[in-house]
Amino acid sequence: MTNADRKPTFARFHPLFERWARRVRARLALRHALTGAAIGLALATIPAAVAWKTRHAPLRLAAPIVGVVGAAVGLVIARRRRWSDSDVALYLDERLDTQETIATAVEMRNDAELDDPARAVVVTSAAEALSSRDAKRARPRTLRPIHALLPLATLALVVIARAPLPAAPVVGSPPGTAKVQIAQADGLEKVAKVAQMDARDEAQRERLQKIAKDAEKLKEDLAKGLEKRDAQDRISRLEDALAQERLSLGDGEKRAGLESAVGKLEENELTKKAGKALGDHDLESMDKEMEKIANQREKADRELAKKSLEDARDAAKKNGAPDVAKALDDEKNLMDRRGKRAEMLRDLAKGMDKAGESNDELKNQAESLDRDGSDAAAKKLAESMGKALEKMTPEERKRLADKLRQMAKQNPGGKSGDPQELKDLADDLATPEGQKKLEDELKDLAKDDTESDEAKRQQELDDAQNGAQDTERELGKQGQQGQQGQQGQQGQQGQQGQQGQQGQQGQQGQQGQQGQQGQQGQQGQPGGTPIPIPGDGPGTGGPGSHHDPGTGNHTGKTNPVDAQSLKSRAKGPMNKGAAMPGSVSTFSQGKAGGTANTRGTGDLRVVGPSEVDGVNRSDVPEEYRDQVRQYFQP
Amino acid sequence: MMDNFEGRLASAASTIATLKAAVGQVIVGQAAVVDQVMWGLVAGGHILLEGAPGLGKTLLVRTLAQCLDLRFSRIQFTPDLMPSDVVGTNVLVMDPAQRAAGSMFALQRGPIFGQIVLADEINRATPKTQSALLEAMAEHAVTIAGTRHVLEEPFFVLATENPIEMEGTYPLPEAQLDRFLLKVLVPNPSEDEMCEVLTRTTGRGQAAPPRVLGKDGVLSLRAMCREVAIAEPVVRYAAKLVRASDPATPEAPDLVKKAIRYGAAVRGAQSLVLAAKAVALCEGRAHVSFADIAKVARPALRHRIIRSFEGEADGVTTDATIDALLAAVPTRPANVEREGARA
Repeated sequence: MTNADRKPTFARFHPLFERWARRVRARLALRHALTGAAIGLALATIPAAVAWKTRHAPLRLAAPIVGVVGAAVGLVIARRRRWSDSDVALYLDERLDTQETIATAVEMRNDAELDDPARAVVVTSAAEALSSRDAKRARPRTLRPIHALLPLATLALVVIARAPLPAAPVVGSPPGTAKVQIAQADGLEKVAKVAQMDARDEAQRERLQKIAKDAEKLKEDLAKGLEKRDAQDRISRLEDALAQERLSLGDGEKRAGLESAVGKLEENELTKKAGKALGDHDLESMDKEMEKIANQREKADRELAKKSLEDARDAAKKNGAPDVAKALDDEKNLMDRRGKRAEMLRDLAKGMDKAGESNDELKNQAESLDRDGSDAAAKKLAESMGKALEKMTPEERKRLADKLRQMAKQNPGGKSGDPQELKDLADDLATPEGQKKLEDELKDLAKDDTESDEAKRQQELDDAQNGAQDTERELGKQGQQGQQGQQGQQGQQGQQGQQGQQGQQGQQGQQGQQGQQGQQGQQGQPGGTPIPIPGDGPGTGGPGSHHDPGTGNHTGKTNPVDAQSLKSRAKGPMNKGAAMPGSVSTFSQGKAGGTANTRGTGDLRVVGPSEVDGVNRSDVPEEYRDQVRQYFQP
Repeated sequence: MMDNFEGRLASAASTIATLKAAVGQVIVGQAAVVDQVMWGLVAGGHILLEGAPGLGKTLLVRTLAQCLDLRFSRIQFTPDLMPSDVVGTNVLVMDPAQRAAGSMFALQRGPIFGQIVLADEINRATPKTQSALLEAMAEHAVTIAGTRHVLEEPFFVLATENPIEMEGTYPLPEAQLDRFLLKVLVPNPSEDEMCEVLTRTTGRGQAAPPRVLGKDGVLSLRAMCREVAIAEPVVRYAAKLVRASDPATPEAPDLVKKAIRYGAAVRGAQSLVLAAKAVALCEGRAHVSFADIAKVARPALRHRIIRSFEGEADGVTTDATIDALLAAVPTRPANVEREGARA
């Protein structure tokens, strides 16, 4: 048989070997894929467990993808490490115990080796070996110990996927990050009303409109829900803006005018309190004071007070505070109106009394007007008088008119009432039309609005501030409710331990606060550093002084300060611009989110670093700085 | 042709088996030695037999020569043996007729001109005489008085040496040792074998072994040996084994690095493959296996590996080193090896 005759044998070996090789390679690839899948699934259990722990339920289901990826990687590796024909042949030789016949045949199967005399023999032997041997003997082991991970990891993934998610961890949110929601913030509505206020000038109108706009926006945001700290911050800003607006009269560069006006008012004993109230920007109190003066019986006092108001107005105008001057001018005009009203009421009351037409109620109310000097008492008296006049018979009215005419004659100089006014009243009472006119006039007086514009503004600003504070309180309540709600959830989850911890923290916080308070108490030693006051006597210390038991002479007083020279030395208005550092102009301490560093709005007990020794940078004359420094020493 | 090869292969295996049987009629036991001598004969290489006196080395060669229809010559190496005693010399012609024909000198051929040459106790001759064998063994030719004489094929040298009586001997230099395809160690016979030897050699006499193979038969076997196929991984295994025997290579096992000064070289690898082919042929296979290489590793490499001082001091034999090599060098690629072990 020639080589050509042997060709069928060669042709037989090739497909035989290919089939065996395919089986071997397939099993090896399968093993790689299984290994990759096992490792992939085993690794997937880690993110799956993490997803379960972190309550990311959908991610748990995605974990098996890692196993699929692992199998794919295994196949890729199998492809890269694919055995060559020679490798397969060597493996088959070993497994089939064919003494490298197949490996030799694989090398000799090419036609180039056709002339090799041993080729036919070797290839035939190899083909016979491959066809006669049991294929099972040459199967590479597919399963390996690592493949045990496959069912274990699958089981673990199934368990993780089916396990109920753990209770949500209690995450302590940073303070103030809790969401608050107020469907209807009435307090902010009050703030928004400042836009309708009668503004002092265009600049104030713009500021007020901005405040109102901010309040409206905050109200809308609160209705949608907002972080508590953000809400608190914005409310604090609104409050600051309102407080600033409240202090805007005579503020800044106009302060000198305000102070000069205050000085003028304080020169007069009658208007001293009003002056102090003006200095404190408490225009409502000032209005009350002026109201009392205006409703006073003594006309001379009223004239004096009016004079002081005029002086103060002029001083304010002169020193560059037109808004203060206008406010004082309004107050003076109001005082005129009030005075005339009170005078008319008193005259009428006196006339009625003399005519025997008065009653106890009228008398009491007249006394109340004399005593309180308030607009309310005047209005009440006017109302009662109107009613009394309505009830009077024509004879009674005639009698009253006569009395009034008589009073006018008896008081030609107008010491106790204006004679012309008394005549006018008598004339009015003489005719039914006049009587009607008088009744209407009294009714109008009862309803008359005699409050000054600035007082009204302040009142409206106060209302707005109250509204803002109401909203702030409401936020506080919501925060507490939120915390209670959280604690309730924790209780449901059975994490009592954490509640206990929070409780401890709370106690610690309280203790800490107490500690701080204690320190403050220590710092605030009674009396503080005594202010040396030059005087006649030894003057060893003021009240609360440590070093002196109080046995010395305490009658010392400071030398009078020459205001003119002070002004000349200061070369202009004091503290041009912002208020002097350390001055107290509010009643509350700083709030969270507030403008803590705003100069002039702090409290003496809490001063910023820049405020210490601020007097050195002020316009206070050097010879007084020590006193000022010690007085304001924090 | 292929059919012829298959037939010849079977015939060769049968002939070699017959030859071994014929030798076995005289030589008791020593099957491994006989096998190795057969490998050398078939592969066309020379054999160095090493063993104690009286183990039948000379008898084995003589018996082989009797079984083969080849010219046999024996050289007893002694210290006074001259190279010309081995290769021959030109002698003055005394015959007038020849002289008249113009031939003043005639070549007196030495024993090297035999086809099976027994170099008995080769290590007893001086190096000069030993070297006379070099050209003959390597080139199958000798040069006498400037004339090169090709030796008749098949030319097969079987040398013996005695490892015990070392006094007055001249150990063979490495260059000459390298000329031997295999170095066969002749062991002491077992008890049964010794009994058989005693029975055979102390009786009435012994029948001569039959002639099994002639010159052509041997040459045919040698040609067939060269035709035996060998796969690349098997060749690579042989190469790895030889490379690992060099202590300077990183693949060398620790024992080699410690006990060996010089490893085998290319000729050692050639011997391995050729001898392995002979083994396959003797077993009637047309290709070489890893086992064939392992089988011939000891006789093919043991005389090519030179021990270091430390190895000699520690008594590490070259055979032990070769065993270490066989254990350390993998036959197949690592992945196939691993898989085969797993399955």
